[in-house]
Amino acid sequence: MLYFTLRRLYLLSFTLLMLSIVSFSLSYLFPGDIIVNLSGITNPTLEQRIELNALYKMDDSVFHQYFAYIKQVVNGNLGISMFNNAPIVDEMNTYLPATIELCVTALFIATIFGVTLGFIAAIFHNKWIDKIILAFAMIGYSIPAFWLALILIVIFSILLSWFPSSGQINLLFDVKEVTSFIFIDIWFSDIDDKWLAFQDALRHIFLPAITVAVTPMTIFIRLSRTSMLNVLDSNYIKAARAKGLSNVKIIYHHGIRNALVQIIRQMGMHFAHLVSVVMIAEVVFDWQGIGSWLINSIFQRDYTAIQGGLIAMATFTFLINIFADILYVTLNPIERYKRHGA
Amino acid sequence: MARDNIYLEEEFPTPIKQLWLTFSRTPVVMLAFICYLFLFVMAIIGQFITPHDALEIGDKLLFPPAWSDEGDVEHLLGTDSLGRDMLSRLLHGASLTFGLSFVIVIISMFIGIIIGSFSAITRGVKSSVSTHFLDVILSIPSLLLAIIVIAILGPGLDNILWAIILVTIPQFVHVTRDAIKEEQRKGYVLIPILDGASELRVLITSIYPNIIDKIIIQMTLSQSAAILDIAALGFLGLGAPIPMPEWGAMLADSLDLFYIAPWTTYLPGLTILFTVVVTNLVGEGLRHSLKLQKAN
Repeated sequence: MLYFTLRRLYLLSFTLLMLSIVSFSLSYLFPGDIIVNLSGITNPTLEQRIELNALYKMDDSVFHQYFAYIKQVVNGNLGISMFNNAPIVDEMNTYLPATIELCVTALFIATIFGVTLGFIAAIFHNKWIDKIILAFAMIGYSIPAFWLALILIVIFSILLSWFPSSGQINLLFDVKEVTSFIFIDIWFSDIDDKWLAFQDALRHIFLPAITVAVTPMTIFIRLSRTSMLNVLDSNYIKAARAKGLSNVKIIYHHGIRNALVQIIRQMGMHFAHLVSVVMIAEVVFDWQGIGSWLINSIFQRDYTAIQGGLIAMATFTFLINIFADILYVTLNPIERYKRHGA
Repeated sequence: MARDNIYLEEEFPTPIKQLWLTFSRTPVVMLAFICYLFLFVMAIIGQFITPHDALEIGDKLLFPPAWSDEGDVEHLLGTDSLGRDMLSRLLHGASLTFGLSFVIVIISMFIGIIIGSFSAITRGVKSSVSTHFLDVILSIPSLLLAIIVIAILGPGLDNILWAIILVTIPQFVHVTRDAIKEEQRKGYVLIPILDGASELRVLITSIYPNIIDKIIIQMTLSQSAAILDIAALGFLGLGAPIPMPEWGAMLADSLDLFYIAPWTTYLPGLTILFTVVVTNLVGEGLRHSLKLQKAN
């Protein structure tokens, strides 16, 4: 197990190396002055320029420049935003938590509903209920996220006015930003009506989370259906049936647990897809997360922000991937020795 | 034993033909396939058969579709805020959203197969580097990667073409590599090798004909993802320039008028949904028939 974890961490360092090379070369690829792209200072004075040249070792070879850049990144200096001159790291500290919050909520919804529906479909294999769930999965998988978001806004915020259509919390609640995780902030804040604020935040996250959850949910439906069918087809289920166990018992004791293991592995693989949808949903719902921040920075030609956003989002995805992998292997020891460099 | 066939030779259908035989048995999938062909034809000739010019600005603003009371048969699906005919725009858009996705898939398939074959027949460090590099690209969210390419090249239809090609290539590399590795373990590949055929020749004459079905399935799956990506980038205003009737961009255009003229929003949305469902159904049908074949 330790060996496996070390291997994955070694692979992570390799991945991060690749990522850092890509993000460093972006400052060469983006239009404009390299030193401006690296630091984000749009019109440096002569002194600033000399100082920056020394900091990023611009007079040395590309290798020295790369290592100087890595040194800055490791020290937490990703330059300043070309748009509002705020340090990129500070910007990300405010935006990344909102995105993580949305991702986690959506993943939670997707897992609960997706896995349950998938199991139901598998248990009623080839019955009409299975077909309805499959058709739903097909449509959910194909629906464009931005269009779904608009439809949800029309139905739930304009026609029914049940849920608000944008933002994270009503501005009337004066919640101080400490961690930028809105729920944690509410918990630690000293306002009077915490419970109301909490409810309000919950209502705000509802529509974006549903939008984001639909695509991974349909993937989970299909995955859990397939893995449940595989499990139900296996010999130990036949043995359990021969023992005379009831259907409910078989599915509860033998089916669900073994099928869930497969799903955890796939969850990591589909996380990158989820992040893509999150970025779109953030724009439509005006969610102050890193996705909408990134898309805005394209329009503002804020290259340092794009660079920083790439590093943050990609690292986040890698970490989730590895976490899912390690979790999978912990639960399923058979896999531990199989997957070396395959 | 009596034989139906009086000729001595048994005919073995090629993998593609086998796939088609099982594929054409499911009615729903065949219906989807016909719709797919229809979309394909529309992508080619759609812009020439439009009732009005898709870019022409008319004086009938925001006419609802013909089936509502204020509608006009001249504009079957109504007009948008600049008086442009919706039907014409949707037809013209087929060549942009659907046609472009087709081009993207074809180009990335060729590049992906070349890289994938290289990665499959090399061993050791070269293979390892190419796989890990692939893993890196695969685990970056596709929209993020596309946005970065657009940041380098600037917005525009031909630039998102390259961006999405870059996003799609790794999927093909992955599929090709895995399929070739799987075939290489089978016995029939050993025979040409024992005959002294070079690795490249084995690849072209023995392996490619047997993995082409998997690549075709990947094509449909990648295409549905590509359509969604094109539409998403168009919606974010990074894709097709303003007057172009790209479906995602049309949707974004109509947002302000959603409440007054809902058809300008739901028509492009429904069209995208229809296209993606059709493409996915064809892909699913192919995958299912491949699975049936394996089982037999």
